[in-house]
Amino acid sequence: MKRNYMTLGIGLLLIFIFIAILCFGQVRQSTVVVITTFGKPTRTLTKPGLFVKWPVPIQWAHVFDQRIQNFDDKLDQAYTADNYTLLTQVYVGWKISDAQAFFPKFEGGSVLEAQKKLEGLLRSAKSAVVGRHPLADFVSTDEKKIKFDQIEHEILKIVQDQVNQKNYGIELQFLGIKKLGFPESVTQEVFKRMTSERQVLSSAILNEGESEASKIRSAANAQSTEIIAKADAEAKIIQGQAQSEAAQSFAVFQQNPELANFLLSLNALELSLRDRATLIFDQHSQPFNLFQGYSTNLANPLLKK
Amino acid sequence: MSDEHHHHHHHEHDHGQSLEQLRPRKATPRVPEPSLPPEDAGSQALADALKSSFAIVKWLMVLLVIVFLGSGIFKVEPGKKAIVLRFGKPLQRNNAELLGPGLHWSFPPPIDEVKIIPYSGIQSVRSTVGWYYTTDEKEALGREDEAGMSLNPAVDGYAITGDGNIIHTRATLLYHIEDPIRYEFEFSNASNAVQNALNNAILYAAARFKVDDVLTRDITRFQDTVLARVTELVAQENLGISIEQCQVQSIPPRYLKGAFDSVLVALSTRDKVHNEALSFQSKVLADAGAQAAARTNAANAEAVALVKSVNAEAKRFEELLPRYQANPDLFVNVLLSQTIGQVLTNVQDKIYLPERADGKTRELRLQLSREPAKPTGTFQP
Repeated sequence: MKRNYMTLGIGLLLIFIFIAILCFGQVRQSTVVVITTFGKPTRTLTKPGLFVKWPVPIQWAHVFDQRIQNFDDKLDQAYTADNYTLLTQVYVGWKISDAQAFFPKFEGGSVLEAQKKLEGLLRSAKSAVVGRHPLADFVSTDEKKIKFDQIEHEILKIVQDQVNQKNYGIELQFLGIKKLGFPESVTQEVFKRMTSERQVLSSAILNEGESEASKIRSAANAQSTEIIAKADAEAKIIQGQAQSEAAQSFAVFQQNPELANFLLSLNALELSLRDRATLIFDQHSQPFNLFQGYSTNLANPLLKK
Repeated sequence: MSDEHHHHHHHEHDHGQSLEQLRPRKATPRVPEPSLPPEDAGSQALADALKSSFAIVKWLMVLLVIVFLGSGIFKVEPGKKAIVLRFGKPLQRNNAELLGPGLHWSFPPPIDEVKIIPYSGIQSVRSTVGWYYTTDEKEALGREDEAGMSLNPAVDGYAITGDGNIIHTRATLLYHIEDPIRYEFEFSNASNAVQNALNNAILYAAARFKVDDVLTRDITRFQDTVLARVTELVAQENLGISIEQCQVQSIPPRYLKGAFDSVLVALSTRDKVHNEALSFQSKVLADAGAQAAARTNAANAEAVALVKSVNAEAKRFEELLPRYQANPDLFVNVLLSQTIGQVLTNVQDKIYLPERADGKTRELRLQLSREPAKPTGTFQP
């Protein structure tokens, strides 16, 4: 009897496991489960945990990721309001907000299908928004002109409105510009412009340097002349003071101007004949007047003795 | 005491014996039970076989249960945390409850699911737009492809600056996960979302800067703008991370390297010219100062000499005056002879012309050099 109970118990457990596999399911954190009865969505389960359903041919459970999905669209070309060609790529963070609505819109509730749809919506939204703005709204050195955030919001709004209108069960969480570019031929033009800008800049820098340097030089020269002129003036003042001081001594010479003249003449003589001078004398000049009275140096009796 | 001990020992021995006896006795009522109505040897053998296979199955099941439960042991590495989902529902409701490093146990799947989350480590992402096409290997080896005269937007990344120029810029963002539950369960790929925020930030920042500000003049402010933008986006998108650092690197397009370098050369030339002018200035001013000092010094010296000599002259005059007044003619003659004698010893050439005997005057012709006399020049009479 005991063995029968055990066998029965094991059998019941196996049956329970079998039924459990068929009838139980899990709602995992950050997923949503949609139950379809004979192909029609009947229940949406959002709370994580166990749930019970009829076995497979009657009810199916479809699991949807509720997390925010990243999606980057393709690089698309559009014209700005001022006719520049601009390439834009955006990234979108989106999630399934209404799985029951999402499920029938895209084949098998496929995320990839949904993203394909989003891509189309984004392309037309981008070209509409880019066409509304001049290039200066995208890039500008004027902080007030630039409308980066606004452009992103406009694209987001257009796409979200269309998604809501068609009831895709999708919610866009955020959208941002990922790439901003010019067509390849335009980059070449930009490079040419940049090159010439660099050349202008180089020569401007060099000219500025030269003119700065010559300013410094001429200022230095002017300053130097001024310094020397000032020194000359100072020297003249010093000389003048010295002369006036010396003039005080002249009073002494007043006692006998004749002697004073004689002494000054002697001084002058001494100074002027200090070197490289040739003097020519005859017998009238002192001390050669001593020779007077003797015939010549040849007939000098004193020497002949 | 020894009695007691002995008794105890004896008792233990008894107990051991009774245990040995108990074991088979306890098993015997179970084992023979199914074989209570023994019919023949054949059915007895079948019953034995069944009995032993049941025992094997029973032990196997026990082993299986142990293995099943044992498989629920898991390890959390340092720097990581774990969250357990029971039937899909997190057991840990907030970040404080997450399981830390060490060994843990949970029910094996499908009851529980263990999710390991990076937590304390620093994560890093690098921007994917804004840089020309290259790979880390090529860059490390310095074997990058030649820069073309245009950029293909599908392959090469770049950023457009506020003044409509093109630059390459890239950023590396270091962050740590502050809210791992959110990071893990709210985003299908949170690091990708962080990367896109960083991509957006470099375009956003470049779009409002001048090319020279990004590259040379205002690198820090550019970097700060990138950081501010990415911080704002991360907060807006509620990514559950906290930013540690943001490094930005920017270069001009490689094709224009020469043009950009020529500006740098011009800048250094300007500095050189400027420095030369400054050194000229200091030299000229120093020279002027020296010259000025020399002139005033000379004036001072002359002044002193003048005053001194005049004073000396005056003194001498006062000394000589009484002697002169005593006999002016003699005094003059004595002094004159003395001076001429002195002068004559200094003079280079002395020529004496005696009077002719006939009393006529002599004629003397002098050829004077028109050349300016030099201090050491030859003298020609």
